[in-house]
Amino acid sequence: MRKLTFLLTFFILLGSAHLQAKEYAIKDIPMVHLQNRTRYVSNPDDILSPATVTTMDSILYALEQKTGIQTLIVVVTGIEGGDCFDFAHRLGQEIGVGQKERDNGLVILLSTDERCVQFATGYGLEGTLPDAICKRIQNRYMLPYFKDNNWDAGMVAGVQAVNGYLDGSMENTDNDESEDDSLGFIIIFFVIFGGFIGLGLYVSWRKTRCPNCKKHKLQRLSSRVIDRSNGTKTEEVVYQCRNCGHILRRKEQSRDENYKGPRGGGPFIGGMGGGFFGGHGGSGGGFSGGSFGGGSFGGGGAGSRF
Amino acid sequence: MKKSTIIVIAVIVLIAIWGVTSYNGMVKMDESVSTAWSNVENQYQRRSDLIPNLVNTVKGYASHEKETFQAVVDARSKATQMQISADDLTPEKMQAYQKAQGEVGSALSRLLAITEAYPDLKANENFKELQAQLEGTENRISVERKRFNDTARAYNTAIRTFPRNLLAGLFGFDKRPYFESEEGADKAPKVEF
Repeated sequence: MRKLTFLLTFFILLGSAHLQAKEYAIKDIPMVHLQNRTRYVSNPDDILSPATVTTMDSILYALEQKTGIQTLIVVVTGIEGGDCFDFAHRLGQEIGVGQKERDNGLVILLSTDERCVQFATGYGLEGTLPDAICKRIQNRYMLPYFKDNNWDAGMVAGVQAVNGYLDGSMENTDNDESEDDSLGFIIIFFVIFGGFIGLGLYVSWRKTRCPNCKKHKLQRLSSRVIDRSNGTKTEEVVYQCRNCGHILRRKEQSRDENYKGPRGGGPFIGGMGGGFFGGHGGSGGGFSGGSFGGGSFGGGGAGSRF
Repeated sequence: MKKSTIIVIAVIVLIAIWGVTSYNGMVKMDESVSTAWSNVENQYQRRSDLIPNLVNTVKGYASHEKETFQAVVDARSKATQMQISADDLTPEKMQAYQKAQGEVGSALSRLLAITEAYPDLKANENFKELQAQLEGTENRISVERKRFNDTARAYNTAIRTFPRNLLAGLFGFDKRPYFESEEGADKAPKVEF
């Protein structure tokens, strides 16, 4: 019986140890910022408590609003390749953390299995947050807690210290996104509207083509009404070509202005115009998804092992 | 004008357009390889610039380790003298450059190794900051080397695939060499606390 208990316990531990040793690839890391623009901390193994995550998110959201600096915090057990620098740098570069023109992205990676923490700074942050400062922040504020496996306190202290350096270091030059959306819709609307007008003009031009001499010189001479029913007027119209003198008779239908009965089909351009303006309006309100600006990383930052 | 003449002219025009866009494309790629090369040189230079400060700091605590200091200083001056312009980048020159920088890396490793024996030195704030800067620079070097290799690969593939290889041969676009990984010395000298 004892042997059985021992074996059972052994296999259970083996199983859980295997679960613990999960190595994340870049694509396995959940990008919480894409679902919710106020969240920056990816905590898939629940190493950090929800309170810690909320504290860090609020600091980083305020930082992005003020300075435009985008951050990505990843706290996981194991990382693919085992090299904190390589993983953090690739995270920043591949996800594109930071605004494209300013390369002001920051990635903070903590791997509890590898026991390393890494800051990766985008090209634009290397001046404000140089390697030596990153190292100093890690040594002074984070490592004392990490040595005791106190991940929550260490991460919060680190983020606060980083915020101290980055806050006020630059202005947020990002304009409100919704303006760009409206402009796009207006342009599309006018292009389509112009297209319809052009189409109409082309159709009426085609009608002036003389079937005899192939030139567009037909001129309307006279017309008489043949039929009137259902709100549609049918006329026989006589055209003469100014070039060759050919006479052409055509039956044409048009809307009868004097008709007082039921009609079929109404103007549809007015209805379409309304549809365009109704569509936009989704972004900007509440906790909608954020996006990463596509900033570049050059290998800046620092890392520490504990 | 006969229809066949029109077709011939149209074909010639199309070939000319293709030729111009392909040539311009290759020029652009060649330029980005050159830029990537200067980025690599910049980062190696940055490492070289850190060395005098580092040597002085260590000297303050371990003045008798003269051989190690001399090795670092010599390797550094040899490497600094070797500046290669991007147009001049032959495989031989590239290998020589890599070798010189590799020697700087080894000398630095030895210097950092001896600092292990001096706990006061390791606790020195200035030394710790230089350490961090050195590590950062080594990281940047590896990033720029990888970027250079990626850019060079894209360029080499472009000039060697048909039909652009005909144009490349005509205008003298040559294959660019790659950074080979050095045996054993491909990881930065990391000192763990």
